[in-house]
Amino acid sequence: MTESTSRRPVLAAGLRFPQARAGGRYGKEDPGHLAAALARELLAMNAVDPAAIDEVIVGCVGPPHDQANVARVIALRAGVPEDVPAFTVARNCASGMQAVTSAIDQIQAGRGDLYLCIGVEVMSGYPLVMNDAATDFFSNLARARSGPAKAKALAGFKPGMMAPRITITEGLTDPVSGMIMGSTAELLARDFGLTREQCDQYALRSHVRATEAKEGGRFDAELIPYLPLGSSSRQGSLHHDDGIRDNQTPEALGKLKPYFERPDGVVTVGNACGITDGATALLVASEAKSAELGLEPLAAIRDYAWSGCDPTRMGIGPVHSTSKLLDRTGVGLSDFGVIEINEAFAAQILACEQAFGSSTYCSDKLGKSSAIGELNMDLLNRNGGAIALGHPVGATGARLLLTTAHQMQAADTELGLATLCIGGGQGGAVMLERIAR
Amino acid sequence: MKFNPSSFPMPDNAPEPGACVALELLEDGKLAKLTLEPPHREQTVFDGPLMRDLNMRLGELEGMTQVEGLIVTGRSPLHFCYGADVNSIREIESVAQATESARAGQMVFQRLYKLGKRGGGRIMTVAAVGGAVPGGAFEISLACDAIVLTNDKSSKIGLPEVKLGIIPGWGGCTRLPRRVGVPTALEAILKGTLFDARRAKSKGLVDRLAWPQYLDRIAADLAMGRERPKVRERGYKTWAVDKNPAALKLIANAATKGVMAQTGGKYPAALRAIELVTGAPRRSIEEGLHEEAIILGALAVSPECRSLVSLFQGTEDAKKWGKLENGDSAPGFERAAVLGAGVMGGGIASLLARKGLSTRLKDLSRGALDAAVLDHYKGIAKAKKRKRMKPAAADAALDRLEVTTGNAGFGRVDFAIEAISEVLEVKRKVLGGFAKDIRPDAVIASNTSSLSIDAIAEGLPNPERVVGMHFFNPVAQMPLVEVVRGPRSSETAVRRTVKLALDLGKTPVVVADHAGFVVNRLLGPYIDEALRLYESGSSPQELDRLIKDFGMPMGPFVLLDEVGLDIAAHTATSLHEAFGARMQPTELLRPLVEAGELGKKAGKGIFIAPKAGAKKPGRLAMLFGRGGDGPQLNPRLRRSGSAPAVTNLSPEEQLDRMILPMVNEAARALEAGVTETAAELDLATVFGMGFAPFRGGVLAYADALGAKEVLRRLERCSGHADVRNRGDAAERFAPAKLIQAHAEAGTRFREDLRR
Repeated sequence: MTESTSRRPVLAAGLRFPQARAGGRYGKEDPGHLAAALARELLAMNAVDPAAIDEVIVGCVGPPHDQANVARVIALRAGVPEDVPAFTVARNCASGMQAVTSAIDQIQAGRGDLYLCIGVEVMSGYPLVMNDAATDFFSNLARARSGPAKAKALAGFKPGMMAPRITITEGLTDPVSGMIMGSTAELLARDFGLTREQCDQYALRSHVRATEAKEGGRFDAELIPYLPLGSSSRQGSLHHDDGIRDNQTPEALGKLKPYFERPDGVVTVGNACGITDGATALLVASEAKSAELGLEPLAAIRDYAWSGCDPTRMGIGPVHSTSKLLDRTGVGLSDFGVIEINEAFAAQILACEQAFGSSTYCSDKLGKSSAIGELNMDLLNRNGGAIALGHPVGATGARLLLTTAHQMQAADTELGLATLCIGGGQGGAVMLERIAR
Repeated sequence: MKFNPSSFPMPDNAPEPGACVALELLEDGKLAKLTLEPPHREQTVFDGPLMRDLNMRLGELEGMTQVEGLIVTGRSPLHFCYGADVNSIREIESVAQATESARAGQMVFQRLYKLGKRGGGRIMTVAAVGGAVPGGAFEISLACDAIVLTNDKSSKIGLPEVKLGIIPGWGGCTRLPRRVGVPTALEAILKGTLFDARRAKSKGLVDRLAWPQYLDRIAADLAMGRERPKVRERGYKTWAVDKNPAALKLIANAATKGVMAQTGGKYPAALRAIELVTGAPRRSIEEGLHEEAIILGALAVSPECRSLVSLFQGTEDAKKWGKLENGDSAPGFERAAVLGAGVMGGGIASLLARKGLSTRLKDLSRGALDAAVLDHYKGIAKAKKRKRMKPAAADAALDRLEVTTGNAGFGRVDFAIEAISEVLEVKRKVLGGFAKDIRPDAVIASNTSSLSIDAIAEGLPNPERVVGMHFFNPVAQMPLVEVVRGPRSSETAVRRTVKLALDLGKTPVVVADHAGFVVNRLLGPYIDEALRLYESGSSPQELDRLIKDFGMPMGPFVLLDEVGLDIAAHTATSLHEAFGARMQPTELLRPLVEAGELGKKAGKGIFIAPKAGAKKPGRLAMLFGRGGDGPQLNPRLRRSGSAPAVTNLSPEEQLDRMILPMVNEAARALEAGVTETAAELDLATVFGMGFAPFRGGVLAYADALGAKEVLRRLERCSGHADVRNRGDAAERFAPAKLIQAHAEAGTRFREDLRR
C-alpha cells in the first residue's frame, strides 16, 4: 500500500435498519434511539471498539427539538466514549451523504482515520407547532400579571389559533421559490414532456425490482431486522422496508389522483417517494485504518461533487453534480456498472434520464459541447428505489452509498455512482470504486 | 433524669471522652459547630461513646451564652450518621434495657431540642446532613430547628425502623408528625421509605437542599439568621387533620386496616407506630417520648424484631462477598453477554441493561429476541411512567440492550451468563463455542437451577472462571441470587459475581455446587408434600390458606402455577436423581404437564384462571356461597385411587407436613455445607421463597420450635397413615443428623439469634 492509497477513504462497513412508512412502525421512535441502536449493532458486528472512532458525523434534516446536535446524542447513546467529538450536518435530502463527504475531507486532510457516519430521519416525529396567532396569545398571557390583564389576554383567544402549522409540509416546501417539492417535479414533467403513464410505469418498475431484491435476499447483507419502540406484542421485528408493494399494478397506480396539481398534474402519491423513517450507518475509514482494524471494506471512495441548480427544478440536480464529478475524474457515464439515483419522483428520474442524453440541456445548462451520455436504465436502481423503499430524507444519502457498494460487490464492477437531488436546488454525487483484493 | 452512657454498649476500642464529637466555635464564637466523627468507626453510628460525647458537648454548649447558632453535622456532606447501631439492637436482653436505651437517646436529643428556639432555648439549631440519614440520624435532625440536606443522589433520609420490627424511639414518632403532619408522617414511618433529596424536600422532611460544596455555608447562614428557613405551611390542614380527633381516628382506622390486610397483624411494630403517630398531636413531646420508649422496649425484644434485624444483618454481611480478599471492592463488569432469550435470559438481560451494563443478548430465534426486547421496552416505559426512572436514565437503559442471532459483537464481553435449555450437553456445546468469542478473562456464569456448575465448566478453557448465578422468576422482582461456587471456581470470579448481584440490587447468597442449591432443594419436598396432602384428602385452597397464614406470600399451589408446572416437574426430577427416595415426586402433575396446562403462563394449571372479563359473582351469590370460591380447580388434577384419604389431620399437622420437610432438608443442606452459615441459608429462604420474614428463615423457625419439638413433630408426621404407606419416600421425615444433634445438646442452628 502506497502513501496515497493508504489515505484513500473507504466504506469500511455499513448497515441499515428497514425503512418504514412514517406514522407506522417507527412512529414512537426518535433519532437518538434509532440511530444509536443501529450504530451499536454496526460496531458490534464488525468488532470495532467505539474508542477507535475519531469523530461521529450525523446527517439529519429534522432533528427533534429536544436532541440538539443529534450527532452527539447518538454518539453517547451508542456507547461512543465521551472524548470522541460529534457533529450534525444538514444538506436537506443529501444530509446522510454529506456526513460521508465530510468524513472524506477529514480523512484526506489527515485529521483522522475512522468516522462513524450516520444518516437518520424520523419523519413521524416532525411536530405540529402553534401558529403565530396562538404564539402571540400565549406570550401575552404569560406577560399578563394582574387578574384583569389575564382576563383580557384570555379574551383574545380565537378558534383559529387551534390550527397548527404542519412542519412536515412546511419542511417539504422550498421557502425561496415557495414551491412544494411535488410541484418542482411537475415543472420538470412539463419541461421534458413526461406523461402520467411514463411516470406510473417507472413507479411500477421500482416496486417490481424492490420486491425481486427483497425476495432474492439482495438486501440481507445491508440490513438487519429491528423491533421498534412502541411495537405491540403481536408485532415482531421489522424485517424489510415496508413501503415495498409486492403486488403493485398499473391499474392501482392509474386510479390515483394527481396530488399536487389537479387536474392535469402527473405526480401522484403512487409515483413519488413516500414520507419515511429510517437510518443507515457507515464506517468511513482510511484504507490503512480499515486494514488495521481487520475490516473488509465494501468499496473505496474515488471522489464526490456537489452542485447547485434551479430551486424550482431541484429534481434535475443529479445531472449537474454527476457532470461535475465526471469532469473531475475523467470518467464517462457509461463506465459505471452500478448507478443509483434517488427516486424522489418518477418524473424527476425520467427528466434526469432525458437531460443526461440531451445535448441541448447539457450545452444550455452545463456549458458542455455535447450530451453527457445515455443513462443505462437497466443499471439504474436495480434493487428499486425510494418510490418503493421510501425516502427518510436525512438517511437516504447514506443508504444510496450502502446499496451501491453492495451491488458493486455482487456484480463485481469497477465503478459505482450514487447521486441524488436536493430540495432547494442542488445535486450531490459520489463515485465508488472496487477495492482490489 | 440523668444520662447514663452505660445504656449503650461500649465497644472495647471506645476512644477517650470527647473524641467522638468535635465542638468548634466560629464567627467570633457566635456560631458553634458540632461534628460527629467517632475515630473508632469508619461509619458513624450512635453507639455508647458517641452518645456520651454528644451529651458532654451539649452540656458545654448550655454554658456558652455567647453562642447564637449551632450546626450539627457529620464527617462530610455525604456522611452524617447511619443512625443507631443495628448490632446493638441484637444485644438487647430485656424490655427494661431496651426502654432504658431509648430513654437515654431521647434525653440527649431532647437536650439539643431545648437548646434550640423551638424548644424554648436561645440558639438557632441547624442539622446539616447528607448521604444516608436513616432512623436515629434523622431523629437527631428532627430535634433541631431546621434541617439542610445535601442535594446529592446518595442522600436518603427517613425512618426505616418499622422494617426492623421496631418503631422510631428517639423522638421520630413524636416529632415527625409535628413537622410534616400526621398523614405524611404515618406514611413515611409505616413504609419506612428512605426518601431521596428531592422528595424529602417536597414532603417537608427537610427545610432546604444544598449542594455538597455549599452545605456548610448555607447551614451557617440559617444558624446565624442570615437566611430564614422557609417554613412549609400546612394551613387549614393542621386544624382539619392533625388537631381533629375524628379525622385522626379515621386515619388510624384506615391505616390499621391496610396494615392488617397486608401483614395479617404479624408485624406488630406497624400497628404500634400507627398508635404513636396518630396519638402524637394530643400528647406533649415529653408524653410522646415516654410512650415511644415503652413501646420500643417491648418491640425490641420481640421475636419479630430479632428475626428482621438478623435478616438486615444478613444482607449487610452478604456484602462482604462483594469485596476481594484484600478488602478492595471487586471490579465491576463493563459489557455483558446473555445467551438465551427465554423468560429468564430476557429478564436477566433487561436487568443488566437497566443497571448500567452494555448487554448483548443472543438467541437463535428472532421471535424470542423480539419478546425479550418488548418486555425490556415495556418495563422501562412503566418505570418511567411511575417516575421510578428519569427520562434520560430510561433512554440509556433502552440503548444498552443489543440483540443478535449471530456470533459477532461479543469481543469486549467480560461477563457472560447463559440461560439456555437445562441439558448439560447443550450447555457445554454452546459455551464451548462461545468461550472463544469473548474475552479470555471473562467470567462465565450459568443460570442453571439443576445442573452442576463443575460439570458445565468441564472442558471449557479456564474453567476457574465459571460460576453459577441463579436468578429467580420473575427476575426483576425476586430479590435473591444464588451465586454458586463450583469446586474449581476462582475466588475472584465468585466475588465479582456477588458484586454484580449487589449492583443489580439483589441479595446474593454464596452456595456450594450441590443439586438444587438452597431454594429449589427446599421447595422440592415442600411442594411435593403439599401435592401429596391433596392426594390424601386436603383441599388445595385450605393448604394455600394455611401457608399464607403462616406468613408466606402465597400458598404452594398458587406458587406452582406461578413457577410453571413443567419447571417444577423438571426440578423435582433432578432433585430425585440427586438425592434419591426422599425427593421422589408424585405423579400427580403429569397429566397436566402432558396437556400443556402448565400454570399461569398457559392460563390453566392447578387452577383455571377465570376468563378475562368474566362477571364477578354478585353479593347475593357470595352470600349463598356460590361462585365465590375464586379460581376453579383443574379437573385434570385427580387423586389416585390408591392413596388413602386422611381426613382427620389438624391444621397444625397439615402445616407441619409441608414445612418440616423443608426444615429437615435445610438441616441436611447445612450439614453438607451448601452455605457456610445457618444465617446465610435462612437469608436464602426468606429472599428466595418468601419464607415468612418475621420468622427469620427456615432454621430460625426450627429454633423457635426447638430441635426436640421438631423431632417430635417429624415423628408424628412419619406416623400418618399415608406417609407410612409411602415406602422409601417417607424418608423425608426421617430427622437430619444436625437436628438430632441440636436436640441432644440443647443447642440451636442460629446461635447468632438471641431469643
